[in-house]
Amino acid sequence: MAQQRIVLRNCGVIDPMQISTYLDRDGFKALKKALAGVTQEQIIDEIKLSGLRGRGGAGFPCGLKWELAGKAQVDEKYVICNADEGEIGTFKDRYILERDPFTLIEAMAIAGYAIGAKRGYIYLRAEYHCLLDLLKNAIGQAKEGGFLDQFDIDIREGAGAYICGEESALMDSIEGKRGEVRYRPPFPPSRGLWGKPTIINNVETLMNIPQIIFNGGHWFSQLGTEQSKGTKVFSVSGDVKKPGVYELVLGSRLRELVEGLALAEKVKMVQVGGATGRIIPYEMIDMPLAFESILGAGAIIVFNETRDIIDIVYRVMEFLAEECCGKCTPCREGTEVMVEILERFSRGGGLETDISLLEEVASAMMLSSLCGLGQAAPIPVVNSLQYFRSVYENRIRQN
Amino acid sequence: MEQIALTINDRQLSASSGMTILEVAKENSIDIPALCYRQELSPIGACRICVVEVERSETLVGSCHTPIAQGMVIHTHSKKVLQVRKTMVELLLASHCGNCFMCDKANICELRSIATDLEVGLPRFQVKKRYYPVEDASPFIVRDLTKCILCRRCVSACNEIKKEKVFGIAYRGFDSKVVVDFDQPIDKDVCRDCDVCISFCPTGALSKHGEIGEEKKGEPLIISG
Repeated sequence: MAQQRIVLRNCGVIDPMQISTYLDRDGFKALKKALAGVTQEQIIDEIKLSGLRGRGGAGFPCGLKWELAGKAQVDEKYVICNADEGEIGTFKDRYILERDPFTLIEAMAIAGYAIGAKRGYIYLRAEYHCLLDLLKNAIGQAKEGGFLDQFDIDIREGAGAYICGEESALMDSIEGKRGEVRYRPPFPPSRGLWGKPTIINNVETLMNIPQIIFNGGHWFSQLGTEQSKGTKVFSVSGDVKKPGVYELVLGSRLRELVEGLALAEKVKMVQVGGATGRIIPYEMIDMPLAFESILGAGAIIVFNETRDIIDIVYRVMEFLAEECCGKCTPCREGTEVMVEILERFSRGGGLETDISLLEEVASAMMLSSLCGLGQAAPIPVVNSLQYFRSVYENRIRQN
Repeated sequence: MEQIALTINDRQLSASSGMTILEVAKENSIDIPALCYRQELSPIGACRICVVEVERSETLVGSCHTPIAQGMVIHTHSKKVLQVRKTMVELLLASHCGNCFMCDKANICELRSIATDLEVGLPRFQVKKRYYPVEDASPFIVRDLTKCILCRRCVSACNEIKKEKVFGIAYRGFDSKVVVDFDQPIDKDVCRDCDVCISFCPTGALSKHGEIGEEKKGEPLIISG
């Protein structure tokens, strides 16, 4: 399988400051098509038919989310675009926002029409403050062009917390509260922002919407694998010759991306999906990239033979412990315990009991944490124990 | 009210919709331990000790905040659940100061009683302990955050029962802390003698100024194991 540009079709082609260049590329035609005689149910059906799943990491079926929110009989609903791209090693959303803000605006307007929302928010990561003017300009031009008559888009900036990329903490943050995870149910499509039905979609998920409406859900559903339709944008970084953003049809092999496109050599392991992503040893590099096997938010970090697995896992865990919101016990205390144990290993120490303690805490965290952060935080540890156990055992023996 | 049929620990039960798993369990004399949950407060969902196994759910769910659904099959005391609960308590104890000998509330401490129930011994994790100065400037309340387990009951009790907002949470992760104002020691200006939060604190973190010779509450705890 190969590269195909659906999400990135306008990136580098249009001028992000000029709406006219976007209109020349069939811009806002999908929105016009949606508003002219297509019912809300038909749009949602089309999205469901396409098989589009959330690109933020969890992979929830997008059409289902919209349907749940669409069915709610409430006056006020919200559409939120999650542009809080905080995952270590992801920069795809930034790439998209910098080059093609108009498709996102169009997609949000379509989403608003489909679920019956009048208002949308773009939750922009604090570090992406530099994109604020560009986005405001794009929204302003879309308003002038009369494309946002029935739907208003506002930008909310984050304050630099990783956890605010998690949907419930993100909503708390928009509401002006401390960004902390809420328990679920209720899920956002039934009770979200200010208690109203809300859909929260990643930038990349929304970027697919205009193309699906324009070309039909059937067209989209023919790309990719059984359960993973369409394309995925990957941010490749680490020990590669050509780091950058690549869009591939889902189901493509990891090797194709890492060695074929990014030209990595002497790969030892690849972390797929960011800080809480799985660590794949080189022997498994022929894995397909899809929701069935491995995907995450699309961060691909490549490590070559000079890198030490324990250093990597330790640094990642330090990051997660720092970014934990502190609400639930397993994540707040568990990440700290893991940092403490991994720090010992990275200093060349390690006790006989440490491996079993790590495994015990990991399993409790995965089973009982309140949100995705705590549930996924032990994944790098578990993977490294699975594939590189001898490194840990050596450290213990040498101690 | 619509009736919902569900199974808890192989018992067929029926309960009204809208109830949480914990409420149904309680109604049927099934004891699920919980630290942050109190009947008088809305669910907090922070301590994760009340987690139960729901069939077809990948993770365990918090029973205090999860509403029941038709045909749910729940296990409140399976091996998996008990193991997680034990680890939770052990994690809480690991960073807890552990000076039970010198704690006024040792005999009525909910953390200690749950630890005893679950047979959690000395914690095996060597994390740093949280030490904060005791805040005793106020004549009405003594706050010793060294003993706080961050269950947030005091925050909710103050908000929901007293309709005040004295407490809030500050900092992140392991450093998170229940604070007053911008992390000021509590004094008589912010808080009067309502005592609501004190009665909700499961540990010795919140207490009143004791008087010499005052009777101590509670039966002595017998620690097994």
